[in-house]
Amino acid sequence: MTFSGEFLAFMSLALVAVIGGVLLLNLTRVVHMVVALVFTFVSIAGIYVLLSAEFLAAVQILIYSGSITIIMLFGVMLTRHNDTSEPKTGRLRKLLLFLGVLGFAFAVYIGIYNLDLPSAPNDLHVNNTEQIGIELYSKFIIPFEVTSVLLLVALVGSIVLAKRDDDKEAEKE
Amino acid sequence: MVEELLYSEAGLLNFGIFFLLATVLLLVVLGFVTYAILAERKIMGFMQLRHGPNQVGGRWGLLQTVADVLKLLLKEDTIPKLADRPLFILAPVIAFAPAFMVLATIPFTDKLQFADIGVGLLYYIAISGLTTVGIVTGSWASNNKYALLGGMRAAAQMISYEIPLVMSVLGIVLLTGSLNLNEIVEAQKNGWFIIWQPIAFIIFLIASTAELNRVPFDLPEAESELVAGFHVEYSGFRWAFFMLAEYVYFFAMASLTTVLFLGGWLPLPFLDFIPGAVWFALKFTAVIFVLVWFRVTFPRIRADQLMEFGWKVLLPIALANIFLTALLKEWLSIF
Repeated sequence: MTFSGEFLAFMSLALVAVIGGVLLLNLTRVVHMVVALVFTFVSIAGIYVLLSAEFLAAVQILIYSGSITIIMLFGVMLTRHNDTSEPKTGRLRKLLLFLGVLGFAFAVYIGIYNLDLPSAPNDLHVNNTEQIGIELYSKFIIPFEVTSVLLLVALVGSIVLAKRDDDKEAEKE
Repeated sequence: MVEELLYSEAGLLNFGIFFLLATVLLLVVLGFVTYAILAERKIMGFMQLRHGPNQVGGRWGLLQTVADVLKLLLKEDTIPKLADRPLFILAPVIAFAPAFMVLATIPFTDKLQFADIGVGLLYYIAISGLTTVGIVTGSWASNNKYALLGGMRAAAQMISYEIPLVMSVLGIVLLTGSLNLNEIVEAQKNGWFIIWQPIAFIIFLIASTAELNRVPFDLPEAESELVAGFHVEYSGFRWAFFMLAEYVYFFAMASLTTVLFLGGWLPLPFLDFIPGAVWFALKFTAVIFVLVWFRVTFPRIRADQLMEFGWKVLLPIALANIFLTALLKEWLSIF
């Protein structure tokens, strides 16, 4: 294994991603958790870039940066500023959890250590945006269109729900 | 050159090269920001029949911004007692870092570019969205109702104007067949996209002003309504960072407009003896001037008008523009 820039970049990105995930679980305030989540998502996007899947990375950031802002707003609106949740777990439960985590880590290690992936065709990363586009619009056009119809239904549904709420409130007044 | 560096062995030399390049870019951008602020104040002064800064550094006030920044650096760094300390400190960093990252993908001339990314345009739009997270974080961490209101407005504005921004650019992507900014510039050899995509240009200019939080869309920092907006509680160096992020975006967005619609470094016909960098600088300055002009001449619009304008006017027109572009491309087959 060469000590290349790619290795360094992977290690730092992976470290940030894992630390972000751990902080997400351990912090007590909602907004802190969301900020930790931002770091995780951005470093995962960085790992996509290392795998030369730039399109995926850009889309990951584009979609998650918007949705995370929304989650953060919900977190701000639905919780009080100094609200903290206090964990109430016994020592026995913590010990069992720790053993479970150890077991899982061991199982994954065994699984990965002897895993032999057949080397995939190596030109998938060349012009990957163009390749995704061609695949999507030649082979998978029907699922793609069905997804867009589904999103449209969700949009119309949310508008209908929001409208109905308004009417009821107006009647009450 | 950058391609080779990326695959080379990690060493102190390569690290030094990258570090040096980034530092030079940062210094150039800081220089730009210093004089952009001065130029903005001067233009605003002239348009409102005032003099503008004319005391510090000669009659053109050339050292005014330097003095202002120095004052900011010497100012006491206050953090409110009830603020959320870690996030309060982190927020200006989250807001500024994407602003600088975005600059990597912009081609200033055919040789001067830091990263030739295949999805350059998408990269720009994606990364620039991250700044809003910093703004919302900072506004929440301040523990101040005006700051929080400003942050809420910033989030709403970012989400509703990012969509017309992307949709207006889709016409260009259709005509070019690429998201790479270099190829987009190359595709403008037979006519800049401001000629082929005038509707997209107008939508892009409006949406980009909104993304930059500048007048007439400066609701997140509307002084007369929100004291100072999302950065009420910030002072000194941290406040300077928010402002710096704003002006670096100003730089980046003007560069992006130049690249997308004004042909980047491409010269006008018969004038190609002037180097590309000069052309880029001229077009860039023109865009900056137009954005400053907006700021001086338009009043701020209301929050509900902002939302209605974004969703009911800009988005349908942008969608119609995509449809029209597709039809033109099929029927006329110019490209």
